[in-house]
Amino acid sequence: MEKSWIATFLPKDEYKERKMLYFMAEAVFILFALLFFYLIIDLLIIDLDIPAFGLAIFALLFLSSYILLRYTFAGIEYPDITTKKRYKKEKKAIFMRSLIYLAIYPIAYIIIQGFPTDWEGVLDIIGPAILAAIFLFAWGYLSLKKSYKKNQELLDD
Amino acid sequence: MNNRIKLARTEKSLTQAQLASKVGVTRQTVGLIEKGRYNPSLQLCIAIAKTLDKTLDDLFWEEN
Repeated sequence: MEKSWIATFLPKDEYKERKMLYFMAEAVFILFALLFFYLIIDLLIIDLDIPAFGLAIFALLFLSSYILLRYTFAGIEYPDITTKKRYKKEKKAIFMRSLIYLAIYPIAYIIIQGFPTDWEGVLDIIGPAILAAIFLFAWGYLSLKKSYKKNQELLDD
Repeated sequence: MNNRIKLARTEKSLTQAQLASKVGVTRQTVGLIEKGRYNPSLQLCIAIAKTLDKTLDDLFWEEN
């Protein structure tokens, strides 16, 4: 079967590709239903008066979060991590990536916005950087743990 | 779908990782196929059969 252009953005592994397509289709289907109900309520029952900007942001956030969550919990991000040694190595790599992000974010911020003039400005840089680094680590770790557990179940008996 | 891939693979002395690498998928995918938790495409079935020197019938046909 001839593949669509979207195949360029999908994983090469057949199972992973199919799972991603399912997650994307689920997200679009749910979003379609939500927008349909929104229209019905807005037109027939009560004027919700949500600005187009808000709806667009909601749609983008919903699509990306749903696909990301399904992908993470499916345990397909690290399909080849089967040994404890590789698991620990990858966990370390995720930790290092989060640390690198924690270091790069303030530097990029200073380059673009300039040095902060007060402590509040410093906190405005460090706070989001720490939160984002924690999120990156937690997300990566969860995905790794799910993948490792799934891979263990599939090993040779 | 039940199959005899694991048996054929061990006869060939291949690991899951080696078979995965030969047919261009991940080890996880091979594990899922062997456990009957994922039905591969015909293209992948043929690739696996060729790698293991078996026919599709040998690997996938269910005897009554």
